[in-house]
Amino acid sequence: MVPLHFSHFQSLLLFALIISLAFGTLGRRKPIARVKYAAWSFAMFVLVGIALGWLMYPFSR
Amino acid sequence: MFEEEKDNQAEGLEVSARAGEAAGPADGPSESAGTATAYVIEEPSVVRAVAVALAGWLLPGLGHALLKMWGRALAIFLTVGFLVYLGAGMRGNVFAPGGDDAFARLGYIADAGTGAFYFVARALEGAGSDVSHAAGDYGTRFLATAGVLNLLAALHAYEAARGRKA
Repeated sequence: MVPLHFSHFQSLLLFALIISLAFGTLGRRKPIARVKYAAWSFAMFVLVGIALGWLMYPFSR
Repeated sequence: MFEEEKDNQAEGLEVSARAGEAAGPADGPSESAGTATAYVIEEPSVVRAVAVALAGWLLPGLGHALLKMWGRALAIFLTVGFLVYLGAGMRGNVFAPGGDDAFARLGYIADAGTGAFYFVARALEGAGSDVSHAAGDYGTRFLATAGVLNLLAALHAYEAARGRKA
């Protein structure tokens, strides 16, 4: 298969999107609640990921 | 949908309970009247629930499909499948059984959580893994996440089959 190349941020976005969709589908019953929960999970994944990245920034050099 | 069946089942239990009350004395069951009202609630089969969970583990989404939870079945199948495809495409490490250290053994358990998709991942990675780059390392995490997510979905299917969660 063709090797896939993603940047760090693209990988983060892909991971957050897929897992958020799964969490929303598994965790809630009603469609509106699923969308809200998935959106909330996605936002938290991305925000916490970026925050952790900045927290580790001083140790990278 | 299973949710609707479950709701109907719950309503049915309430109806039978009300029927039991109606069959008894007008002021409800009492010991002084010498009668007792028994409510029989059938427990969902444990064997069936375990079979559903095993099916869900072997083929992602199958457990929920057996419970007629079509949306969740499709979502699990697609998310686990897509994670495996991405992980293999990024040349993540698909751990083999019998690893040397605890990390390799845990990695194998996580990867094996994808069930049949574990063999798909091995087949897709014809050139083997390459974790010398960040993409390969991310691919390893994607594959492990796919397995853990599928195990979580199988547990969810088990709970749903027991009637505890939907």
